[in-house]
Amino acid sequence: MASVTIANVWKYYGKTSAVRDLNLNCNDGEFLCVLGPSGCGKSSTLRMLAGLEHISAGDILFGERRINDIPPKDRDIAMVFENYALYPHKTVYGNIANSLRLRGMSKADIQQRVQKAARMLEIDHLLDRRPGELSGGQKQRTAIGRAIVREPRLFLFDEPIAHLDAKLRAHMRVELKLMQRDLRTTMIYVTHDQLEALSMADRVAVMHEGVLQQFGPPQEVYHRPANRWVAGFVGEPPMNFLDCDLAEEGGDLCVRHPNFTTPLLPEQAQIMQAKGGGRGVTLGIRPDEIALAAEPGLHAFSGQVMITEPLGGDLLVDVILEGSKVLVKAKPNYRGGRGEVCHLTFDRERWHLFDREDGQAYF
Amino acid sequence: MASRDIVQYRSPGRRLLSILTVVFLAAYLVWTILPLFIMFVSSFKDLLAAFQLPEVGDWLSIGVFFDFKPTAKHYVDLFVDNNFGTYLVNSIVAAGGSAVVSVVLGSMAAYALSRIEFRGKKDLFFWIISTRMAPVVAVMVPLYAIFRGVGLVGTLPGLILAYTTFNLPFAIWMLKGFFDNVPYAIEEAAMCDGCTRFQAFRAILPLVAPGVGAFLVLCVLFAWNDFLFASIIGSGGAKTLPPATRELVQPQNIQWGKIMAAGVVTTIPMMFLGLLIRRYLVAGLTMGAVRE
Repeated sequence: MASVTIANVWKYYGKTSAVRDLNLNCNDGEFLCVLGPSGCGKSSTLRMLAGLEHISAGDILFGERRINDIPPKDRDIAMVFENYALYPHKTVYGNIANSLRLRGMSKADIQQRVQKAARMLEIDHLLDRRPGELSGGQKQRTAIGRAIVREPRLFLFDEPIAHLDAKLRAHMRVELKLMQRDLRTTMIYVTHDQLEALSMADRVAVMHEGVLQQFGPPQEVYHRPANRWVAGFVGEPPMNFLDCDLAEEGGDLCVRHPNFTTPLLPEQAQIMQAKGGGRGVTLGIRPDEIALAAEPGLHAFSGQVMITEPLGGDLLVDVILEGSKVLVKAKPNYRGGRGEVCHLTFDRERWHLFDREDGQAYF
Repeated sequence: MASRDIVQYRSPGRRLLSILTVVFLAAYLVWTILPLFIMFVSSFKDLLAAFQLPEVGDWLSIGVFFDFKPTAKHYVDLFVDNNFGTYLVNSIVAAGGSAVVSVVLGSMAAYALSRIEFRGKKDLFFWIISTRMAPVVAVMVPLYAIFRGVGLVGTLPGLILAYTTFNLPFAIWMLKGFFDNVPYAIEEAAMCDGCTRFQAFRAILPLVAPGVGAFLVLCVLFAWNDFLFASIIGSGGAKTLPPATRELVQPQNIQWGKIMAAGVVTTIPMMFLGLLIRRYLVAGLTMGAVRE
């Protein structure tokens, strides 16, 4: 077990930088997710942790020990690869046992540990098969088995469940989280799926174009995004963004849009006044934080229904505003049809304002 | 997965084509197998019987060809009088030795060229194959001078070295292609498992087994059938089967029986090698290892 510190780490491939000045720390026993779209540098970060890539600049520490120049085999890490990377010519048993054999462990010990790991992953009946005879889920379990049998001090997961079908993925999310809680091993998990990150991690590091955007618990990343990019990336369906102005009206600081003029809550107004409001802002609000009604109400404004998408438990409604549109998650009993006028109310506790220039969040 | 059956519809053209295919294959079989067959049969005939042939066009008396008393005389003579035992061993050592040396060095070089980026890699790679571009005859004289200078002429190590010179570039080119197809992730996983780089290289060797197998066959065949190197570099102490067979042709006396027997002795080991190595030539061993 170990804590991990990534200090001012850069990664260059030739002249292009994949990771820029990254600072992260992962506590002992913590489940850390690195979240970002493809090409954001998250895999490079993981590979630097594993020792499969050189660290161009900066330091990585496991506990107190600097591991920049230590080869992978001496880092005491176990990595699960996106494409499983099993040895095709070895059986499941051979795959899982390989690392133990390399350490010269006795046959009986190996047998015992492989059996234990296999039972935990429910693949003990497959130990004689080769990877070619396994399903995707079974291969992935084998790859995880190969990692946990080592009892390493750090697990590295590189999108391990990205290729599974949706149902199995949901199942594996729960299992992986349970496994990590049981083993209490530090785990760094790279994914592009925000759902995986939010549901499993103790803390989430969101990366974009090699730069760390936000680092915090899932709730914070979801409810208090640091900037417009994080706000748009995390959450499904994605957050709505509306270009607005700030204006004084009746003594209140208001968000003004062609369709509505809604006052900020007092503490929000304070923030905006302190941070030099008056500039162009972008309003961000999630589809489930907009209330949809057929009748007007306080702070409500009207729009026109473009299309509705029933999702079973929810109903997504695309509403046309002046020069833009918003997506609203409504109750499935909403009966508005195409072209009808509807009335929207924002949950002002939960909306966000971003600087229109640099995208940084005011709140 | 789509069906592997080739969808075909009957048409007169296709029917004709299928008849022609059979005719062609039959002719081709006769063309390739008949000489081997005659060689095999003749090696068991004494000299008189070997030349008992029916008249041209007289197909009815084709039985004459098979009307003989089998004798192992030529084989006995070969091994007792002509020392073919030694030549056979020489051939096996020279061909096998050069194949093993080429595979060991070639796979390591190919792995490096496949995995590591370094300056001048392309040029190096081209230079390696360019050594195969000159005809063997062109380098034979200087090679002979060098080998004689260091005392390698007429020795088995000399012959192995000579064959390796020609097989190694080929091994590197061929095996690099196979290594290129092995996903990096497998050896990376091996290194995370606790392998050194060299152990990781060994861990993925089974995945290039089809390449190694194919190359071994080609390499052994090249050395086994070689006449030029064997008669010049190997002459004297390291005579192999082809030059030894050539010596059975003497100005006054062409010993057909022995030549046929020598041909059989030379051919059979290669046939067994082909059968033995066949299972390694089945590609697709990497299937299922990683998600494509």
